[in-house]
Amino acid sequence: MADELEGIHVAGPVRAEIFLVWLDADRIALTGPDGARPWLVQLDDLEHPVETVARIVRGVVGEPLLVHSTSWRRDGAAVLLSFLVVIAPDQVGEMDSAPIRRAQLARSEVARAPAAIGGSQVLEHALRHLAWLAEDDPVVAARLGPKWRAALAGYVPEPFRSFA
Amino acid sequence: MTARPEQNAPMSHSIRVRCGCGWEATGTKDEVVSATAEHGERVHNMRASRDEILAMAIEADAPGDVEPRA
Repeated sequence: MADELEGIHVAGPVRAEIFLVWLDADRIALTGPDGARPWLVQLDDLEHPVETVARIVRGVVGEPLLVHSTSWRRDGAAVLLSFLVVIAPDQVGEMDSAPIRRAQLARSEVARAPAAIGGSQVLEHALRHLAWLAEDDPVVAARLGPKWRAALAGYVPEPFRSFA
Repeated sequence: MTARPEQNAPMSHSIRVRCGCGWEATGTKDEVVSATAEHGERVHNMRASRDEILAMAIEADAPGDVEPRA
């Protein structure tokens, strides 16, 4: 059966989806242990999700610059928590990487989730949120520095889009 | 999924486990179980028993050493 070739998959009722990003010169890029794709991690009830994500990232690529929980969504029977994790350029090493392209957000209805949400939309939302934090949160601003703030300048902070 | 009872496998039998993230390991049962357990816990915070890992294994196309990609 073809399914046999699919191999093992991260399971569990709550999972983390890590978008590992870095600044490639002046462009934001996506990377990960298996290339430019979301990195799935299983969560349990013994450890805070942020601590789990930070610990796993620390063990694989080193100390992250920033770990930020951005959104959540259903994924089959599971809940998928999305994290944006910022790392330094020298932590990318041999991992494959790709520039991040802009995407349209998945818009929800007043009391209903979007019918479908893609990974690029989750990442777009996360970067818009980070752009807002980089201007609003002095801790995040200091941690990211001026180069990151410049790279995020093109992302319209999500909380202010309604007023545009 | 295909589970292969160990007693039916020759000593040189080579198997492969592929992770949903793209990582894979090929080698003997001991090598693949060890590499897969390490990959699962280190990269995905997953813990799997030897039996669970072997249940996910398929026959390798050719004998080879364990070649984890991550």
